[in-house]
Amino acid sequence: MAEPLTPDHDPIVTRSYALYYLIAIVLLVASLFWALWDEAYGQRPWKKYQAVFQERYGAFLKSARSQSAQAEKEVQGNPEYRKLAEAADAAEKQATPTIKKIGGQLKEVSARLLAVQNVFTDKRAWVNAKVYEIETEDSARGKQSKQRDLDKYKAQQFTVKFPDGSRKNFNFDQLEEEYNRLREEKARLNADLGELLKPVNEAKTKRDDYLKEHLVSLTPEQIAGLQKKTADWDTKIVQINVASANIVDRCESCHMGIREPVRLTPASLAAKGGKPDEYARAFVSHPDEELLQIHDPDKFGCSPCHQGNGRATTSVTKGHGDYEHWLWPLFARQNVESGCQTCHAADMMLHLTTGNVGQVISEGKFLFRQRGCNGCHKYEGYDREPEDLLNVQQQIKQKEEEQQGNLRRAAVLTKQADNATDNATANRLYAEAEALKVANSRIAGQIEQLDFRSRDLLRDLKKIGPDLKEVRTKLNKNWIPVWLHKPTDFRPTTKMPNFRLNDEQIKAISAFLWQVALTDKLPTAPKGDATRGKELFETRGCLGCHSIGEGPEMQGGDFAANLTRVGEKVNYDYLFRWIKNPRVRTRSYCPYEKKDIGPEDYAKHNLPYQFDFEHSTCPNDGHELQVEQMTVMPSLRLSDEEVADIASYLITQRQKDPASYPEAAFMDDPKLKEEGKKWIRHFGCAGCHEIAGFEDEGRIGTELTVEGSKPLERLDLALHTQKAQEGKEVITDKAILARLPEGPATSDWYNHKGFFEHKLAMPNIYDQGMMKAETEKLRMPDPHLNKDQIQALVTFLLGSQETSLPASYQYKPEDWRRDIQDGWWIVRKYNCVGCHQFTPGQPTSWQNVRRFQDPDWKEQFPPKLLTEGARVDPEWLMRFLANPALSQTDTHRNGVRPYLKIRMPTFFFSDMERRKLVRFFQALSQQPMPYTPERLPTLTAKETDMARSLFTSAAAPCLKCHATGDAAHDKTATAPNFLMAKDRLKPGWTERWITDPQSISPGTSMPSGLFRKDGDHYVFAGPTPSAFAGYDKDHRQLLVRYIFQLTPEEQRRVSGRMGRAPAGKKASSRKPAGSTPAGVQ
Amino acid sequence: MDWHQIWEIVSTPDNVPIVALIPLLAFYIYLGVKQARANDQLIAQLETDPALAKTHHRKTWPFRPGWQKEIHVWPFLLRVEFLAAIIVTIILMVWSITLNAPLEEPSNPNVTMNPAKAPWYFLGLQEMLVYFDPWIAGVVMPTLIIVGLIIIPYIDTNPLGAGYYTIKQRKFALATFGFGFLALWVAMILIGTFIRGPGWQWFWPGQTWDHSRLIYEVNRDLPDIFGITSNLGKGIFGAVVVGGYFAAGGLALTLLFRRFMAKDFRRMSILQYSMVAAFMLMMIALPIKMLFRLLFHIKYVWITPWFNI
Repeated sequence: MAEPLTPDHDPIVTRSYALYYLIAIVLLVASLFWALWDEAYGQRPWKKYQAVFQERYGAFLKSARSQSAQAEKEVQGNPEYRKLAEAADAAEKQATPTIKKIGGQLKEVSARLLAVQNVFTDKRAWVNAKVYEIETEDSARGKQSKQRDLDKYKAQQFTVKFPDGSRKNFNFDQLEEEYNRLREEKARLNADLGELLKPVNEAKTKRDDYLKEHLVSLTPEQIAGLQKKTADWDTKIVQINVASANIVDRCESCHMGIREPVRLTPASLAAKGGKPDEYARAFVSHPDEELLQIHDPDKFGCSPCHQGNGRATTSVTKGHGDYEHWLWPLFARQNVESGCQTCHAADMMLHLTTGNVGQVISEGKFLFRQRGCNGCHKYEGYDREPEDLLNVQQQIKQKEEEQQGNLRRAAVLTKQADNATDNATANRLYAEAEALKVANSRIAGQIEQLDFRSRDLLRDLKKIGPDLKEVRTKLNKNWIPVWLHKPTDFRPTTKMPNFRLNDEQIKAISAFLWQVALTDKLPTAPKGDATRGKELFETRGCLGCHSIGEGPEMQGGDFAANLTRVGEKVNYDYLFRWIKNPRVRTRSYCPYEKKDIGPEDYAKHNLPYQFDFEHSTCPNDGHELQVEQMTVMPSLRLSDEEVADIASYLITQRQKDPASYPEAAFMDDPKLKEEGKKWIRHFGCAGCHEIAGFEDEGRIGTELTVEGSKPLERLDLALHTQKAQEGKEVITDKAILARLPEGPATSDWYNHKGFFEHKLAMPNIYDQGMMKAETEKLRMPDPHLNKDQIQALVTFLLGSQETSLPASYQYKPEDWRRDIQDGWWIVRKYNCVGCHQFTPGQPTSWQNVRRFQDPDWKEQFPPKLLTEGARVDPEWLMRFLANPALSQTDTHRNGVRPYLKIRMPTFFFSDMERRKLVRFFQALSQQPMPYTPERLPTLTAKETDMARSLFTSAAAPCLKCHATGDAAHDKTATAPNFLMAKDRLKPGWTERWITDPQSISPGTSMPSGLFRKDGDHYVFAGPTPSAFAGYDKDHRQLLVRYIFQLTPEEQRRVSGRMGRAPAGKKASSRKPAGSTPAGVQ
Repeated sequence: MDWHQIWEIVSTPDNVPIVALIPLLAFYIYLGVKQARANDQLIAQLETDPALAKTHHRKTWPFRPGWQKEIHVWPFLLRVEFLAAIIVTIILMVWSITLNAPLEEPSNPNVTMNPAKAPWYFLGLQEMLVYFDPWIAGVVMPTLIIVGLIIIPYIDTNPLGAGYYTIKQRKFALATFGFGFLALWVAMILIGTFIRGPGWQWFWPGQTWDHSRLIYEVNRDLPDIFGITSNLGKGIFGAVVVGGYFAAGGLALTLLFRRFMAKDFRRMSILQYSMVAAFMLMMIALPIKMLFRLLFHIKYVWITPWFNI
């Protein structure tokens, strides 16, 4: 046996785990508390926001309240207020004794009623229960015995103890009677009291309303309400839930001040003594109240406009959707107007009554068309004419087939009827055949309308660039390759983008264009006087769209080309024809034959060579021709001398001799033609230009209608993907960097915004580092946009999204608002805003033209159209838009304002566009369509006398400024002829106009203050002519009626009596005393 | 070396378990090997001292006088396990507070993420899809893995080495496990996580995952190399090659067993041995196929209308 071993410590049995357990448990409990904290606060950061808001908003309200109390005191010191307050006090004092008396009675009756009621309701409950038992009792005996119980009960006497200590006994019926009597008594007393209090309350309301109206901010009382609301606030999720649109937005859980009725700025909500921090910035009011009023957040939520993840509440990043997997991140501040596009895709122009909301997105929408983006990129709503035209043509075809089918069917039916065995059948079949023929005549009517529409569409079809079939007649041959090399070298502000063409491509393209161009010769144009031409150019209206001069010298509009070097490129004869009427084509084009129709085609059919809107069918096949140039440029209805003068002026606009361009003989090389055709197709030139052989060419770019919601993965950043993700800038060129709206990238730009901005700043940027064949390279040309333009376009593109909102959220109205939508597209298409103001403060091209800076020229500005729809008769406007000269013979003039140097041009609108424009103006002023002219009562002889005396009064010499048709007088006239008023104006507007023209057209030289209010009608403000003695009707109405009934004879008579206005007088000297200063009109 | 890229992969919430797996695996292998070596030393000591061997029950430590020969599960085992449970709970709590589940909201049927990766524990299976058709890699192989794991107790005839770490007594089992788990399963998960980038292309660690990367790689089927074009020919050829592999492999395996593990070989019945051989060969076939594909660009060996291997 071995000796027993010494016992040893057993490492498993003896070891203690207490310390490990202690540590583990402490950690476990700690992590448990952490989890609880995380659940309550970590995952709910908005709680902190609400706490901070409560504190800061409370402080803000406190100071606002003391300010408001101060302001209140000031208002209360106002005698008017004091009068109202005294009236309220007096009313109260007067009513008090009676009120007190009735109050006492009421109190007593109420107490008695309560005493009766206590007893009565108890007894009634017993009775009702018993009645129920009787009703549900089956046996007759049972019913009888219960009825006995009931009768017995009702006969009992119940004691009522009244508050004055007296007691009285009633049986049940008496009790009920007493109860009802007291109730009626109480109601009567209440009514009496209300009647008494009414004047008192009215006086008080008047006093309080006065206070509210005269305080700029809220009243202290209202602020106190807000204070209470803020102090009592329970931390909770604030949520907008619109079930029908699947909107759940919890944004206001943090942005708590967004809808508060006071104006909150970051500074006003900063921590005490601190700078505005993230909290202060989150609590501000929505920047535009009007916008919020139109788009009530309770219906629209927040995310439909701003995007972001409205449901997320766990962090700012999540809520704003600024993380990889959220497809709709919050629009950046600079592109916040992208949100408008979601619903307002059908609008061209977005604006509010005040402020500049909508400017960026409207600019983007405008640029997209103006820069010809839609020449390559399809975008729903833009350039609809080609598709509409196709659609209409197809409809016509269908209708014609239907007609033929009907005819066949009718023939069959007639035959069957002829062979019918009985009369009834025969008659029925004849009737059916008849009906089909009638149906055909109805279809014929429809086809006619479609024909009109198709003609209109053909007329509305425009191209952004010039017709290149005319290059031989129009251009200096050697200039073409130089231009193609880099258009901005020749004309820095051109709309034509730079195409990065190499020499071979330039040669081939110019050769093709030269060789396929029309070779017809133009008649030799007369020469004119360049000095006169310069003046005409600067005053007739050219500068409404065109600009001239470079750099700081530049003046005019930016809608059309800058003509500083036009003399280097253009042929004089062509220029003459173009200025005279830019719509004239050398040859018409037949879309059916796909060929330009020349004199030989007309000769074949023995027809005179003539094509215009009246002669617009093809001599070969009778189809509708394209008879005008597809340009938006209008005709200014210039006389031949004026045209020659302007053309002679423009041809001198050159920086070098056209002959100094290097000879481009290769352009006649037939070998280059095919190559040129290939490149023209490749670069999609036909998107903007009319080119022989490319009339039906489609768009080469990608569709952009929903580009903003294209998955990021499909935007190819090629080799720049990595750098974009890492937030590194890839553009190195300083000039191009300056185009980025927010400067060189400093953070991750791997998103739609970054992609678009870089692409627009440098369209071939994603080719950098790539080895590509010439045909594989990115084709998009450089549109040389500046950074504001890029921002506008990016805003537009970012908003171009598929939306999950219901269709009812899309702004596609069917009423007058639709007319406004449609109208803006036309207004911007023809650049009406270049000359006319449509909204107050909108800039026009003329404001920067140097001649017009002279105060004497102020009346030479084109008229403002702020209330055009309310002003003019729509029928008249239709006529005016078709022919602004308002005359078939005397066309070299303005129809309405012959005194203006600027001329309202003829735009050759199609009937469709003209209708739309008229409806647009009517809708803008919310005038009903169709318009029924108001009938004015004919003037009596006495009224005529009175009106005439007013009309010719020395204090209001109307005919001093208004034209009369007398050439000598009209030289100095600065306002339209009254004879036109009857057809042109609406009486109601005219009345408002002569009362206060400044509020209709700010800055007009028409004097204000001609009439003043006297009781319920207006009277003449100057010395009243003697004929008015005893006349107590409205003087304005009388004058308007006179103007609307003015005959040429009367006007001649009156103007003869008045004498001539001295020429060259300034506006100020013509005004009666007390009128506001004349300004821009 | 694109550190940004590496950080991107390592810091993805999805990859936390895999990144943690690397040090944890190393640590546990170290721990196991350490204990196994201690045990192996003890075993060697016991084998030389029969007296001691008889008294020895609790394997890791040589028996000391005064120790209990047997101890209870409660509390001596459970207290350790409970402590471990608490620690795991703490880890899970902290983990779930600090890292949210990597869910990608909202679903967009128009976008498939690239690379589209399975959850980390399935990455090995996804990697196998590169080498076999979905039927083999997605159905047959996983089934075989499960069946193989199930039958281990029935084919394991080694009576030693149960309940304690040892290398010496279970060389074959350890080698097989090491190969199957570490070399195949874990390695494939690591490949799936760190190596496979956009387009499931092979990117070495530190190489940028460029979405527009282009590589030239033509994969051919083995029969094509031998100019076999008919379907029947391909089927027969593949069957011959695969059959040949199993025949030759089986022969070689048997020779190796006889030579190096004669004892084990003798203890096994013919059924047990053929099971071992079959699963062993199938397991080895996987890396062979992977090498064929990666090094020689061979897509499939055996092509039939029903499956491809």
